[in-house]
Amino acid sequence: MASNSKVAGLLARKLFKLSLVDGAVSPERVAGILEYVEVHRPANPVMVLRAYHRLVAAELARSAAVVEHAGPVSDAILQAIAAALTAKYKRPVKTVAKPNPALLAGLRVHLGDDVFEASAAGQLRALAESA
Amino acid sequence: MSTVLEQIEQEIAKLSAKAVRKNTGTIRTVADGVAKIDGLSDVMYNEMVQFPGGAIGIALNLEEDEVGCVILGDVSMLKEGDEVTTTGRLLSVPVGKALLGRAVDALGRPVDGKGPIDTREFNPVEKIAPGIIVRKSVSQPVLTGIMAIDSMIPIGRGQRELIIGDRSTGKTTIAIDTIINQAKINKVGFASGDPKFRPMYSIYVAVGQKNSNIARTIAALEAAGALEYTIIVAAPAADNPANQYIAPYSGAAMGEWFMDNNMDALIVYDDLSKHAVAYRQISLILKRPSGREAYPGDVFYLHSRLLERAARLDGKGSLTALPIIETLAGDVSAYIPTNVISITDGQIFLETDLFNQGIRPAVSVGLSVSRVGSAAQLKATKQVAGKLKGELAQFRELAAFSQFGSDLDAKTKAQLDRGSRIVELFKQPAFNPIPIELQVVTLWAMQKGYYDSLPLAKVSAAAKALREFFSTRQDALLTTIRTKAALDAEIEAGLKTACDAWKATFAA
Repeated sequence: MASNSKVAGLLARKLFKLSLVDGAVSPERVAGILEYVEVHRPANPVMVLRAYHRLVAAELARSAAVVEHAGPVSDAILQAIAAALTAKYKRPVKTVAKPNPALLAGLRVHLGDDVFEASAAGQLRALAESA
Repeated sequence: MSTVLEQIEQEIAKLSAKAVRKNTGTIRTVADGVAKIDGLSDVMYNEMVQFPGGAIGIALNLEEDEVGCVILGDVSMLKEGDEVTTTGRLLSVPVGKALLGRAVDALGRPVDGKGPIDTREFNPVEKIAPGIIVRKSVSQPVLTGIMAIDSMIPIGRGQRELIIGDRSTGKTTIAIDTIINQAKINKVGFASGDPKFRPMYSIYVAVGQKNSNIARTIAALEAAGALEYTIIVAAPAADNPANQYIAPYSGAAMGEWFMDNNMDALIVYDDLSKHAVAYRQISLILKRPSGREAYPGDVFYLHSRLLERAARLDGKGSLTALPIIETLAGDVSAYIPTNVISITDGQIFLETDLFNQGIRPAVSVGLSVSRVGSAAQLKATKQVAGKLKGELAQFRELAAFSQFGSDLDAKTKAQLDRGSRIVELFKQPAFNPIPIELQVVTLWAMQKGYYDSLPLAKVSAAAKALREFFSTRQDALLTTIRTKAALDAEIEAGLKTACDAWKATFAA
């Protein structure tokens, strides 16, 4: 017998697939699915919704790059980053700026599981690890 | 000029500001040395991943939306939400001669307090075993120094010979004796200056053992002067199961370095029962489907891929493996013992009853076998011990029958008498391997009936006295036996004269 978490995971994945339109998460579909889940409660609804949330969050993170920066970042740089990532991943990527003084200087870009490290703090850490 | 410099400076600036791409994930759960990770979409099977705080892990389970990793190192600082990054590398350990005489952990880091190990070479822990074409048949001996084994269950370079038996039957002692004997042979070989001499280096992998036992083993090797030719890989019982799982592969990687560099090495896995238990623990935590005795389905592959790495390579060196398996109540038909028996090229079975009777090493002749080693046995040993195994097996059978009645014919009595003398002759104290030339002398004397007139209780002492006599007074004859490795009429005449002289002194 499959465990509860496995069943919940399978259902969440099915719901997640239904949330996509042209490979991107559709807010309308997500709203519809949440409405449906509220009316037709599955077994372990919290577990299903948590797994669903994780999948949607991971997909959204794949299309929105978080650009952490220590100093000021112009819109032109953000646009250039978005264009470069769109070309690299062959899907539309938008950028969200997030100030992070701990980087000391430079940028760190998060997109899904990938991290592009071009900060002074990152280089210092790499140097310390290699020593 | 300044334009050119600016161009170069721009290029340097471009390079130094180049972004480094990392693939990351976050820890979802961490328990019992195993972490479940979200993300790590680029991770490969068996790839090393970096945890915060310097701990590293190996990706073992690649699932649709999570990755299961075993963690090698301290897990106490890891928590949910911590970032994990891929490294793009397979787990590797340091290799080379600099490791000889050192005790290291499963990752090759020194644990003996003798400072850092000066080696720049690394080998991957997991490696595909050599294929058919590059292998060569086993034809050179590995002399254990244990008379019962070298004469009846010979081991060859590149062979996998299992040492199996219940707890406290002397399994580790056989392995340690073998390592000590290799060191003794190495010393004699190096001293002889023979350019054709091939030394044998040893690797002792301790899995799931008590730290006190490992310390005792190291002390025994050091006392015998064998540590300088040995690498100790320690994954004691206190280590997490991931380290215990990886330790035999790390040892194999170190042994392969010798094999690939035209040298011979011996590796002892002590023991694979505990290794299987550590792997079972990891698999259960990773929620892999369990099978017989709750072991995962790939427990056979766990050991087969490890032991297949022992080989003799054409034009290169060899790696001989002595895996150890602990049985429960002598049950060789349990899951892990049968698996390893079927993988190896023979087994040395040690019996509790024999051990308790004082027959040590407690080798059961009937259940022990060497499938390829006889091709590697020295001709001299074959000449003096060719029929021993059969005679001893016959003795055991007759001894069992003779318990039912006392009316035995003369022939049966003679066979029983001879058998019990052979048993006495094979008794040997621990950590005291006998050089092969002295083994030949001892067995030749037995073959020629030099112990027949002695009381049974005195046979062991007589054999010891004979060896001492030869060591002190017949060095030239021993050297001839060692170098020729076969008995001819001239050597036999010399043996007869010497044995007669010894008999006179011993009887007196």
